Amino acid sequence: MIDRASTFADSEVLKSLRQNFVPVALDQAYQRRQEDAEGDFYRRIAQQGRPTSSRNATTQGLYVAAPDGTLLGFTNNRSPDRIRRMLTEALGRYQPASTGRIETGRRDPRYNPQLPAGGLVVRVQARVLDGYDPPRNAMEDAFQTALSRDNLWISPSEHQQLLQQRLPDSLVRRIARFHLVDNTRGEPPMWKATEVQSVDVALDDGVLAGRVQLATADGERAYDVWLRGHLEHDQTGITRFDVVARGTFRGEGRYTRGAPKKPFPLAISFTLADGSDIADEIPPQGSRGWVQGYIDLR
Amino acid sequence: MIRTAILSSIALLASSAAAPAQQLTEREFQSLHAELQQPEDAAWRSVPWKVSLVEAQAEAAEQLKPLFIWAMDGHPLGCT
Repeated sequence: MIDRASTFADSEVLKSLRQNFVPVALDQAYQRRQEDAEGDFYRRIAQQGRPTSSRNATTQGLYVAAPDGTLLGFTNNRSPDRIRRMLTEALGRYQPASTGRIETGRRDPRYNPQLPAGGLVVRVQARVLDGYDPPRNAMEDAFQTALSRDNLWISPSEHQQLLQQRLPDSLVRRIARFHLVDNTRGEPPMWKATEVQSVDVALDDGVLAGRVQLATADGERAYDVWLRGHLEHDQTGITRFDVVARGTFRGEGRYTRGAPKKPFPLAISFTLADGSDIADEIPPQGSRGWVQGYIDLR
Repeated sequence: MIRTAILSSIALLASSAAAPAQQLTEREFQSLHAELQQPEDAAWRSVPWKVSLVEAQAEAAEQLKPLFIWAMDGHPLGCT
């Protein structure tokens, strides 16, 4: 979120990206591990900017590369000034030359998860509603007001159950464990099965309502949350999945430091995706590395 | 109507619960759902981001443009 609110809010950076580059956004935890042509191409570029011998080491950063994989620029500093300079210098180094496309061949299925046909994508967006100390700078303000984004996947069989006015237990558990999280400051810890303390959610005449209570064993992180929303369908499938979860959250994760010190209100919206947003294509964060573990909750 | 009720054996909640959450009214649902949507005119959306490096490389090769790769832990258009 912070990059979207700072680096990629800079008009000069955006103009240059639109005019001079082919921009691509990646969760490099996939590409750095992929055993396929895309992974090979990504690692070739990353090794020139951020060399590592381990595929478990992050290669996070901003890269500029020629279509043949030659690195033209790299930085992991996201200040707009630094990015503008990097883009300018990289363009100065670039010498256009004819290059072929990557031969893709077989794609590594572990890192190319696909929602089965007949499934649904639901946009999930969260915001901390209150509880922060006053921000000391623009960066803190961006964190505190951030609206996160993830996707919920609904399997084809769950979709069919919803059409029959039945709320699948697997779907409720998936929402609880992977989507009732505070991901407004970065990658959140998901809830373990043993941390789901109670779920009481019902679907009645198109109205979804109920309560979920989540807590770690040590009580350091907890979310007591109510849900309410509306589902509608026609002959072809679900046409509306508008749900809101709002409750009291406590705690933070390793990569979501800086949460309000006291319990705070966290709200999360769920909205059926229509494919009009490029982010609709992103696999759920909770599916990373093990999509079946995300889908096949029992 | 299916009602799901799962109660774990961990009896921590009462003691660990924060300020009690309150049930959502229909009006609150409508207000929050409208509020919690990404603005269509956010500046970063003006860039035609791709999410496939293979597709981006093909386009870069065709247009003789360099690639700009925004690579993060967690998807940059998602949770980071």
